[in-house]
Amino acid sequence: MDSIFQKKLKKVFSPNSIAVIGASDSFEKLGYHVMKSLVLGGYRGCLYPVNPASERIWGLKAHRSILDIEKEVELAIIVVPAKKSLDVLFECGKKKVMGAVIISAGYKETEGDEGKYLEERMRELSEGLEIPIVGPNTFGFVNVTDKVNASFTYEFSLIKEGGTTIISQSGGFCHLIGFLAIEERMGVAKLVGLGNRVNLDFHHTVRYFLEEDSATKALVLYIEGMDEPRKLFNAISQSKAKKPIIAYKSAKNVKRDVASKFHTGSLAGNYKIWKGAFRQFGILEVADSEELIDIAKALEACPSMRGERVAVLSGQAGPGIIAADVLEKEGLKLANFSEVTQRKIDELLPPLAIRTNPVDMGPAWYSPKTILSILKVASDDENTDGILFLNMFASANLKLVKEMVRILRDLEPFNKPVIACLCAPPGIWDEEIKEIDGQKGIVVVPTPERAAKTLANLYRIGSTGR
Amino acid sequence: METILTAFEALEFLKKKEFPVLESKIAKKEEEALFYAKEIGFPVTLKISSKKVIHKSEIRGVRTFIVDAEGVRRAFRDLLDSFYSIFREDDLEGIIVQKMGFGFEMIVGVYEDINFGPVIMVGQGGIYVEDVGDVTFRLLPITERDATSMFEDISVSKVVRSKRIADFDVLKFLQFVKKVSDLATQRPEIKEMDLNPVFVSKEVMICDARIRLLGARSV
Repeated sequence: MDSIFQKKLKKVFSPNSIAVIGASDSFEKLGYHVMKSLVLGGYRGCLYPVNPASERIWGLKAHRSILDIEKEVELAIIVVPAKKSLDVLFECGKKKVMGAVIISAGYKETEGDEGKYLEERMRELSEGLEIPIVGPNTFGFVNVTDKVNASFTYEFSLIKEGGTTIISQSGGFCHLIGFLAIEERMGVAKLVGLGNRVNLDFHHTVRYFLEEDSATKALVLYIEGMDEPRKLFNAISQSKAKKPIIAYKSAKNVKRDVASKFHTGSLAGNYKIWKGAFRQFGILEVADSEELIDIAKALEACPSMRGERVAVLSGQAGPGIIAADVLEKEGLKLANFSEVTQRKIDELLPPLAIRTNPVDMGPAWYSPKTILSILKVASDDENTDGILFLNMFASANLKLVKEMVRILRDLEPFNKPVIACLCAPPGIWDEEIKEIDGQKGIVVVPTPERAAKTLANLYRIGSTGR
Repeated sequence: METILTAFEALEFLKKKEFPVLESKIAKKEEEALFYAKEIGFPVTLKISSKKVIHKSEIRGVRTFIVDAEGVRRAFRDLLDSFYSIFREDDLEGIIVQKMGFGFEMIVGVYEDINFGPVIMVGQGGIYVEDVGDVTFRLLPITERDATSMFEDISVSKVVRSKRIADFDVLKFLQFVKKVSDLATQRPEIKEMDLNPVFVSKEVMICDARIRLLGARSV
């Protein structure tokens, strides 16, 4: 079954034709919002709304049933009430669709037996029909690469295209990360909510995106819990494709009711084993959403971090000291500049400035050229592996970042990761930051602490060998 | 059907599998204990072996650092008194006479988790292992590289660089961890096993072991 699924997944996530069963023109229905996502999200394939009660939906000809569509349908998105979903799925099987997204809720996640029964029937039916299902009880998925917004949230179409694919057990988490991604200019390839995972699970999708999807450069997994985690780890270890994998594990405090008389059994907390397994299989674990966004951006835009030595260049002393503290805590070191580098920095800064690492670039505020020269010199030094570049706005350095943008355009990309923090009141440097973020090996994050942590994570990912 | 081996059976089981175990004999009588103690050489440790007792220290079932014949006699009687105050005579397998171990106390364990299946644990050992909780896990089987990363995970790895600890042969300990992984993989009937403490110095030596086997006694 798994190998049949693997073959079909390309058609599921990049379909040439989609039927929306339960499509609607009424704002109160999810079927309206799924249509909106596909149409306004710029879906380029054939789109067939299905609803027996309407002639036209979203300006397109509506069909009474999926079986009334003459041409082939690769993906069915099902947004009908749970009770009707099995009949619809059966028709999809007759239509020979390659896969389905079942957005409807009311299955295993509900109280009582009815939902569980429906889901069990769905599992049996889909196995028989060999239809891989995203869901049920999911917001859907978004393929940013090919403009397939198969979800009920059109705004995901505003996410920048990039190389990070997110596979999540929670739709809510996808919304959290999706909107943060827009806010923080993170690029996404695919955003997938697995929902109840009736037959399509982490191990299928991880394998597919590692091996078959060239747009995916890095994977993010959001995991609450699973019955058979080994399937996931086996899929990762068997995959020949070496792409970085980041995991965010929640529900860390789930108590097990194991009363072992042994030390090993009583200490074997579920999360402790997850933590160990992440290390074992070269997966970087992050502790919060910000960390996740930052490292995903850095993986996409920065060169790799080959060692632990960091140059901290700061327009003000304080943020540099803060960053240095976090670096130390995260296991990185402040670099010792080579003599040549030190001499060049000495020449660039007036005598009173602190010119050893962390470098206080304050006196060079009015000269963006000088500040970028210091950055260049520090990144060319063979004793550095990564750079933190921190500048707080002050009335006096208003033009600093605008000038930087201009000068950067003609500069070669930096050959080491540069994590920048350019902090200003809303509206002042926004456009310039957008311009710099993700260019020339530089990534911009909101705080010095996050900048330092991002470098540490970049270094850790480098040592996983993935 | 499962079996929990007694303290002595567990040590014997590991010895047969060519694991380094502190020299141990089982004595039913005081004179026997004395004979073994002299044979092994002082200092020795005396401890209870019984299918009723999983954690010996909880019933004061261990006497360490016994340096002479008088000490053996006293400890032997002491242990019997405290054991019989709780259990019946036929609950006792005997008293283990063991060469006193020295070094840093580590724990290595295996366990079959309901979701993950067989896992291995490495950590700081001793009687406070659950209070300290300085442990780390991996899925079985592990590679040598996994063993190394496990060691890095626990704060004990700082001890190695400490001037207070004369010797801690990291490489030998890592090989030992790998050997435990191999045993658990070859013998899936081992459902749970604590090796605690394992003394690490220039040598690695198992001092105490608890083993739960699936099926009837087949040691």
